[in-house]
Amino acid sequence: MGKPSDLVQGTLDLLILKTIALEPKHGWAIAKRIEQISSDVLQVQQGSLYPALHRLEQKGWIKGKRAETETGRIAKFYCLTPAGRLQLEKESANWNRLSAAINLVVQAQSS
Amino acid sequence: MSLFDHLRLRIQTLFRRQRSVEHLDDELQFHLDQQAAENIAAGMNPREARYAASRTFGNRTLVDEDTRTTWGWNWLDHFLQDLRFAFRQLAKTPGFTATAILTLALGIGANAAIFTLVHAILLKSLPVANPQSLVRLGNNNDCCVTSGTRDDGNFSLFSTATYEMLRKNLPEFEELAAIQAGFGYRPITVRRDHSQENARSVMGEFVSGNYFRTFGLNPYAGRLLTDDDDRKGAPVVAVMSYEAWQRTYAGDPSVIGRAFFVNTQPVTIAGIAPRGFYGDRLATSPPELYLPIESMPALANTPYVHDPDSSWLYFIGRVKPGVSLPVLQQKISSLVEQSLAQTKLYSSEENKKVLPKTHVVLTPGASGILSMRSEYASNLRLLQFVSGLVLLIACANIANLLLVRGAQRKLELSVRTALGAPRGRIVRQLLTESLLLAVLGGLAGLFLAYLGTSFLLSWAFPNAIGLPIDARPSFEVLAFATALSLLTAALFGAAPAWIAAKTHPADALRTGSRGTISGASFLQRVLVIAQAALSLVLLVGAGLFSRSLTKLESTDLKLDSRNRYIVHVNPQAAGYSQRQLEALYRTIEQRFHSLPGIVNVGLATYSPMEDNNWGTGIQIQGLPDTKGDGASFVKITPEYFDSVGTKLIMGRGISPQDTPASHAVSVVNQAFVKDYFPAGTNPIGQHFGGDRESAGDFEIVGVVEDTVYQSVRWKDHHMFFVPMMQRPASDKDPIENDTSLYAGALVLQTQAPIANMEQLARQTLAEINPNLAVVKFQTFDQQITDQFNGDRLVARLTTLFGALALLLATIGLYGLTAYTVARRTSEIGIRMALGANPAGVTAMVLRGALLQTLVGLLIGVPAVLLCVRFVESQLYEIKGMDYTVLLIAILTLAAASALAGFLPARRAALTDPAQTLRAE
Repeated sequence: MGKPSDLVQGTLDLLILKTIALEPKHGWAIAKRIEQISSDVLQVQQGSLYPALHRLEQKGWIKGKRAETETGRIAKFYCLTPAGRLQLEKESANWNRLSAAINLVVQAQSS
Repeated sequence: MSLFDHLRLRIQTLFRRQRSVEHLDDELQFHLDQQAAENIAAGMNPREARYAASRTFGNRTLVDEDTRTTWGWNWLDHFLQDLRFAFRQLAKTPGFTATAILTLALGIGANAAIFTLVHAILLKSLPVANPQSLVRLGNNNDCCVTSGTRDDGNFSLFSTATYEMLRKNLPEFEELAAIQAGFGYRPITVRRDHSQENARSVMGEFVSGNYFRTFGLNPYAGRLLTDDDDRKGAPVVAVMSYEAWQRTYAGDPSVIGRAFFVNTQPVTIAGIAPRGFYGDRLATSPPELYLPIESMPALANTPYVHDPDSSWLYFIGRVKPGVSLPVLQQKISSLVEQSLAQTKLYSSEENKKVLPKTHVVLTPGASGILSMRSEYASNLRLLQFVSGLVLLIACANIANLLLVRGAQRKLELSVRTALGAPRGRIVRQLLTESLLLAVLGGLAGLFLAYLGTSFLLSWAFPNAIGLPIDARPSFEVLAFATALSLLTAALFGAAPAWIAAKTHPADALRTGSRGTISGASFLQRVLVIAQAALSLVLLVGAGLFSRSLTKLESTDLKLDSRNRYIVHVNPQAAGYSQRQLEALYRTIEQRFHSLPGIVNVGLATYSPMEDNNWGTGIQIQGLPDTKGDGASFVKITPEYFDSVGTKLIMGRGISPQDTPASHAVSVVNQAFVKDYFPAGTNPIGQHFGGDRESAGDFEIVGVVEDTVYQSVRWKDHHMFFVPMMQRPASDKDPIENDTSLYAGALVLQTQAPIANMEQLARQTLAEINPNLAVVKFQTFDQQITDQFNGDRLVARLTTLFGALALLLATIGLYGLTAYTVARRTSEIGIRMALGANPAGVTAMVLRGALLQTLVGLLIGVPAVLLCVRFVESQLYEIKGMDYTVLLIAILTLAAASALAGFLPARRAALTDPAQTLRAE
C-alpha cells in the first residue's frame, strides 16, 4: 500500500481536484473513485486523503459543505471552486507535460 | 476564493474550533462507517468489517492531527496546551510562584510608577488639538517680570509691545498667543457674587484673547475668550477651568454668566474650559481662571502690562503647514531686535552694543512651557535609572530561581525528550512558563504602581491643588509595563529554557551520580555576583542622597522657626492702592498684637526659605564699579527681623522712625559686606544704590546674619533689607507704579504654639477686610520642610530602591546557597563521615557564599566610583566619593550576605552523615 509520498509529489491534489470536477463527493467516495478509475493501481491510503482535502479547502480550491447522503447520514461533500477549476487546468497541463516527458525518456531507453 | 472568504474560513476554524473539531470527527467516522458497510456487503462479519476498514484507513489520531495542522492554528493549540501546562506547573509550586511574582511585581511596579511620572512630566503633550504644530518662541524659563537686558541675547520673555508687533508681522502663524509667565507667583482673590463665602486665593492666568483658539479648544460650557474680550474697556470676562468648576462649585451651571469678584473687581464667567485642559504648562496648581491680558492693569494693578521695557509674557503659536522653522526663527529674531531697539532700555550706548546678539530659539510647543520638565528632569532620569537597576536585579533573581527549577525538573524534561518531544517544543514550553510569570508579575506590578504613584505624587507635590497628573496607569503606562514584562520574560526565561533543553536525556536519567559536583552552574554564580554589584551601586546611591539631604536639613539657616507662623497675603488682590498700605500695615500689626500670646508681628515682601526673590544690581558709593551678581532685597517692617529670628550683628535694625518721609536706610547681611566692601571697612554709614546714578539711595544702618532665603544651595547670597514703605530718592516713578510696597508675607511669633492659629489669622484678616484672603498658611517649620521636598523625595526613593535591591540580592544569594547545600548533601555527609567537623562545614559553605559577594564588591566598587560623578551635581556639598557612605554600604551588603549564607551553612552543618548516606 502506498503512502501519499509514494505518489508523485502533488499528484494527490490533482487526483482529488479531477475526481470532484464533475460532481460534489464526500471523502470516502473520492477515495473509492480514485481506486476504481485507476483500476486499483493507485491505492491511496484512505486516511491521508483528509489532510489533503482540508489543505485544499484552506487554499480555497475546493469547498466543503455538510449535506445528507442518500442513506440519510450527514457527510461533508466537497466541490470545486472557480479557483479550483483553474488550478485543475494548470495541474492537468503540468501533468501532461511531465508524463509525456517521462514517456519519451522511458521509450528512448527501451528502444 | 477572495481574501475575505479565506479569512472567514481561518477565523471559523479558530472561533468555532469545537465545532470544527466535532465535524472533522464526524467526517472521519462517516468514512470508516462507509468502508465498514461496504466490507459487510462484501460478506465480512461486522467485527471484521470494522477492523478491515480501520486498517485501510490508517492511524486515525495521526490523520486527525495532520488534518488540524492544515487549519493553520497549530501554534495556538500548542500555546494553549503549554499555557495550561504552565498554570498547572506553577500551581504545583506555590512558594516558587509567589516569590517569583512578588519579585517581578516589585521590579515592574517600581518602574511603572516612576514611568507614570516620567510620562506625565517629561513626555506628555498638552491635551489640545494637534499639539505637534505648536511652536514656542524661546527655550529658557526666564521668569516672571524683568526689565533688564540679557547678556547672551537669547530671549524667551517678552513685552506686550513686542507681542503686538509680532502678531502684525507674522502671517506664518495661524495664531500666536501671549501668556503671563509668572502666574504661579501672583495668585488672585476670587469671591462669588451675592454669596456669604469668604474670598479665596486661587491661581489665575492672564492670556491673550486668542489663547484658546491657538490651542484649538472648544468650551465645555458657555464660551471661551475672544479677541474682543482682550480690548481695553471691554467688560471683563473670565474662563474657569473644568476641574476648578467641579471642585469648588460642584459643576453648578449657574456659575456661567454669573458675576464674580476677582481682586474685588466684577468679572463675568463666560464659560468653562474643556475637561482635562490644565493650561499651557504642567504646574502643580494649574490656573482656575483664565483672564484677558487687557484686564490685568485694572484687576491686578500692574504697571508693567503696557510698559515696553518690561518683559513678562511667553509666546506660543500654531504655525501654518509648510512653514520653514529655521527661516521663521531668523525672521522672529530680527523682528524682536527691531522691537527692542525702540525701547528706552536699549537706547543707552552700553545696551545698544548687545542688541545685535538678540535672538529667539523656536522650540516645539507640543508640551507647552517646560518649566516643570526642566525642574524635575534630572531627578526623574536618576530615578528611572535606579528603578531600572532594581528590575535587573529582580530579573537576575528570577532567572536564578528558574535555573534551580530547571535543574530540579531535569528528570521530567529528560523523560519528555526521551519520549520524542522536540527541543523547540520544550524551549517553547519553558518560555511560556516565564511569559505567564511575567504577565502575572506585570499585572501585580501595575497594581503596585498605582498605589506607589499615589504615594509618590503626595510626597512630591504635597501642596498641589488640582495637580494634573493621574496616578491611574494611562495607555502609555500600560504599554510600557507590558513591554517591560515581555522583555523581562525574555531576559530571565531564555537562558534557563535553553540550558534545560540542552540536557542529554541519557545523562539525566543516569541518576545517583555522587561526587564533589559544583552544585551551581557558572551562570548562576554570575547572576548572584551581578546582583551584589548592582545592589552596592544602589546602596551607595541611597547613602549619598540621604547624606546630602541630612546636610541640607541640618544647615544652620540663621533663623528661628520655633513658634512662628507664616501667613501669605496679597493686599493688592484685596483692592488696596499703594497709598492705603501704610494704614493697612499699622492695622494688621495692631490687630494681631491684640491677640493673646502674640510676641512679634512682621511684614515683608517675602520670607526666608520660600520660592521668591527680588533682585537688583549694586553700586557702592565712592568705590570703583562693584563687581558681582547684585543682591536680593526684602522690604520689611520694624518687627520683621525678630519675628523670623534674624540676629543683628552691628548697628541697628529697621525702626518705626524709618518712615517714607525720612532718609532711606538699609540693613545689609554679612555676605553683602564681605563681598562689596574692602576688608576692614566699617559698612555703617556707607551708601549704595542700584547703579552709579542712584549710589546714594540707601544709607547702611545695620548688619545682620546671613539668614537663608530661597535655597540653602544659594551660597554667598548678598541681601539688603529696607523699610516697607520707604522709596529711594532716585525712584521718580509715581507711587502707583511701585508694586514693591505690597507685603506678601505676614510673620507671627507667638509665646507658645497656638493650635488654631490658622483660623485666628483668617478671622483677624477678614475682620480688617473680607477681601484679605489667606494665600497660604504654614508654620515656619512647614515652609522650611517644603523647600527640601524634591531632595527628600529622591533620598526616600533611592533608599527604598536600595533596600529593595539589597533584599532581592540577599534572597538570590540565600536561594543559591541553599540550593548548593541541598545538591551537596551527600558530599557533605561523606565529608562528615570522614571526620569533618560541623564548624568546618559551616565555614566551607559560608566561604562559598561570601566569595561571590566579594567578587560582586570587586566589580561594584569601581562601578560606584565611576557612577558617582553623574550624580555629583544633584548632591549637596558632597564632592567625589564619600568613603563613609561607601564603607557603610559595603558592610551592609557583607552583613546581608553573611546572613544569607549562614542559614544554609548551619543546615549543612546539621547534616547527619548516616542519614544522608542511607537516603541514597
